[in-house]
Amino acid sequence: MWMSVEVNGHIYEREVAEHWTLLRFLREDLELTGTKDGCSAGECGACTVMLNGEAANACMVLAAEVDGATIETIESEAVNGELSEIQAAFARNYAVQCGYCTAGMVMSVRELLRHNPKPTVAEIKEGIEGNLCRCTGYQQIIEAVLDVSGQITNETRGGLRYV
Amino acid sequence: MNDIFKYRAPTSRAELFGLLASHGEGAKILAGGTDLLVDIRSGLVHPELVINLKKVQDFSGLVWSQSEGLIIGPATTVNDVLHDARVREYYPLLADCALTIASHQVRNRATVIGNIVHASPGADMAPGLLCLGARVRIASQRGEREVCLKDFFTGVKRTVLRHDEIVEAITVPPDTAKSRGAYRKLKRIDGHDLALVSVAVTNTGSAVRVGIGAAAPTPLLVEGLSHQDPADVVVAAALGVARPISDLRCSKEYREYMIEVFVRRLLEEVR
Repeated sequence: MWMSVEVNGHIYEREVAEHWTLLRFLREDLELTGTKDGCSAGECGACTVMLNGEAANACMVLAAEVDGATIETIESEAVNGELSEIQAAFARNYAVQCGYCTAGMVMSVRELLRHNPKPTVAEIKEGIEGNLCRCTGYQQIIEAVLDVSGQITNETRGGLRYV
Repeated sequence: MNDIFKYRAPTSRAELFGLLASHGEGAKILAGGTDLLVDIRSGLVHPELVINLKKVQDFSGLVWSQSEGLIIGPATTVNDVLHDARVREYYPLLADCALTIASHQVRNRATVIGNIVHASPGADMAPGLLCLGARVRIASQRGEREVCLKDFFTGVKRTVLRHDEIVEAITVPPDTAKSRGAYRKLKRIDGHDLALVSVAVTNTGSAVRVGIGAAAPTPLLVEGLSHQDPADVVVAAALGVARPISDLRCSKEYREYMIEVFVRRLLEEVR
């Protein structure tokens, strides 16, 4: 099917296979491989992108469904090689180890902060509950979100316990 | 995803019903996609045609009126319900149920009607909607019919829906608006998980109802209880209809035990 979609500010007009997922379209056709394929079943959140401003699992959306939509992926975060404030906070708080979950985590945090600029720890946990991390640990990721929302200082960094 | 299928996104009811009527069992409805696309990938279903109903005009509506109550449309997402001010005012129980479904980004896509039509025994929207007396409006090229939600489910992932039919709306009547209600879902972790067992209890001021999930082939409704019935009577009625199984998530006995615990706690909350 012929479709038109805006991804990270660029309009793409393409013939797309009707059974392809949005995830496959982003990675294999547009070669935007920052978005990761983890479980392909909506459990892990590694493929989280913004679809019309809302976080969605790209593995559970058909490419054909986003005809006319606006998509933002992790590639929209850094501008001219400069990390976005969320990415910089992840780096500053050691919230990246293997990095496989990071792209999806950053996109979920992006939506959370749009609705809620100063989330509590409980609200952050709810915001990222669809993103599994198996190596970094959620503590550093939650601290990164507290940091980017101005709720942590160099003195209190690393102080979060029992999340 | 290995299967190859065709995709259509009708914009009118007539076009949608025509596609369903002409493709029979080979057509599958795509609403949120959070069950269908996973089932296709797992090889559980092999559609020839996937029909996206989200582009049909007026299907995303969530309408409230004093005379008709709440009308949930086929494309209304779980987060639409969760964040709706009228739902929170008139049927806060539905928001409680919605919040327990999967994760934030799944709730952004998953639809309330999809959760019901998929007919998982543990469907999180079911216990609350059952207690609130929800009705299901079914439509096809042949016309419309309406059934009570409690008569909609026929087995595990089975309903009265025929291949050419869709659920056009779930309606929640105005007479249960503002009933006191609460929902508990037993999970293995605090985050994204399926229900081991789940219970909703409502009190309209005279009648008490109990909805139970993951304790039988279909979600269950216990009716005919008074707000003056002692907890022992309500527990006995709930355990009288529940027939849970033991599976990889927990044992039959644990499920029965937790139904009793939840019914007692929830009754206290809604008294």
